[in-house]
Amino acid sequence: MSLIKKPGGKALDVLQNLPRITLANLRPEPGSKQKEKRRGRGQYGGNRSGRGHKGERQRGTRPRLGFEGGATPFYLIIPKYGYNEGHSRRPQYQPLSLKRLQYLIDVGRLDPSQPIDLTQLVNARGVTIQPQKRDFGVQLVDEGAELFSAKINIEVQRASEAVIAAVERNGGVLTNSFYDPISLAILIKPVPFFLRGQPIPKRMHPGEEMVPFYMDPCARGYLAPPEQVQQARLALAKKYGYVLPDLSRDELFHMLSSRKDPRQIFFGLSPGWVVNMADRKILKPTDEKLVQYYGS
Amino acid sequence: MSACFTLRFKMIHRVLRCAFQLPGPSVIRLQPMCVAVGEQNPPCGTLETTKEYMFVERLIPPTRVPVPPRHDGPAPSGWAPPSDVPPSLPYMVRRSRMHNIPVYTDISHGNRRTTVLRRVEGDIWALDGAVKELLKRLTGTDRSTQVNEVTMSIRIKGHYDKEIKEWLMQKGF
Repeated sequence: MSLIKKPGGKALDVLQNLPRITLANLRPEPGSKQKEKRRGRGQYGGNRSGRGHKGERQRGTRPRLGFEGGATPFYLIIPKYGYNEGHSRRPQYQPLSLKRLQYLIDVGRLDPSQPIDLTQLVNARGVTIQPQKRDFGVQLVDEGAELFSAKINIEVQRASEAVIAAVERNGGVLTNSFYDPISLAILIKPVPFFLRGQPIPKRMHPGEEMVPFYMDPCARGYLAPPEQVQQARLALAKKYGYVLPDLSRDELFHMLSSRKDPRQIFFGLSPGWVVNMADRKILKPTDEKLVQYYGS
Repeated sequence: MSACFTLRFKMIHRVLRCAFQLPGPSVIRLQPMCVAVGEQNPPCGTLETTKEYMFVERLIPPTRVPVPPRHDGPAPSGWAPPSDVPPSLPYMVRRSRMHNIPVYTDISHGNRRTTVLRRVEGDIWALDGAVKELLKRLTGTDRSTQVNEVTMSIRIKGHYDKEIKEWLMQKGF
């Protein structure tokens, strides 16, 4: 069936049949324009012009906002407390719900047959990370945990227990890993970085406060020993009441078990390498000292 | 279950000096790879092509919206593709660029809630009537709507995006 799109419709018919529209033919909708109040004119606007009778009100010499006639005002009597102290130094994590993640996979913007890390999420335009605004990465939020049903190997910066359970219940793998701000900026925008011609830097280790989190097997930290992670997976399955699927029999086992080295920013690319996009080549250092530095 | 497989980068150990560190006369060059003066030679380092370049290709963001894969019925997230045969109605609602239903909510002045239904084609007044009937059935009251024939969109007073999206999806738009 053919639908003829006629923009304008009846309004266009009206426009074509009536005489030419000029300023003389136009008038605002009755009731749409209200006349403004003019002070100091006529019987009601005149006299004191809406300022009241004598005193600071009529004379316009009222004190500042918050002044309470001499008593210590509210905004000074309440003591200070550092609720927002250091707010600009606190790490922030952009939230990503499991519902949105499932939507991105369903619509084909994310490929579940490859490991999903922050670069893939940003390329799919699923999240927007601003490293300059103290963003340290993405956190998975458990909204939509019931309808999540994709088997993925995902790497985020923060994830709660419920999220880990939802991912592992479907046979997936979740890892929490840390990216320092420079590595994060490179991770979310790899192409402008490659065009700079600089060698890929080493990823720095997390600061003192974050190390316990990233070494915790219950949080699936990237620095945690793998045996403890496996025990934590079994414990979580028991806690949430699902059967942990055996990944070793899976055909995607190689993809699901691939993880980055703690010093690596990109999958498959080591620190120290320079990427030449114009010639589609990668240059690797051969000098001993460089190799030792990037290998440490 | 076996431990997680970590990707370790390979080290290639060779004794070479970089071309930009000008060597003194006492240096022994074992493999003069970067030799000639005035020649546009690559810096000292092995060149490895396509073998690892595929990892770089994976990082390049796509410039076009990908075509969604085929699903049997609605996907787990609630998204469903438009039906292959458009419904035989006097109006049509096209999908947006990202393959979603073009129903959006709007708020102005902090408290004025409206729902906008865009990308309408055909007889917009028939769709307006159908939407009014749907909302009458759901809420029991007459919701006021505004039809914009130039942009072919309908603006409804109140937030009804979930109901309208469901209704349109069930119709097959």
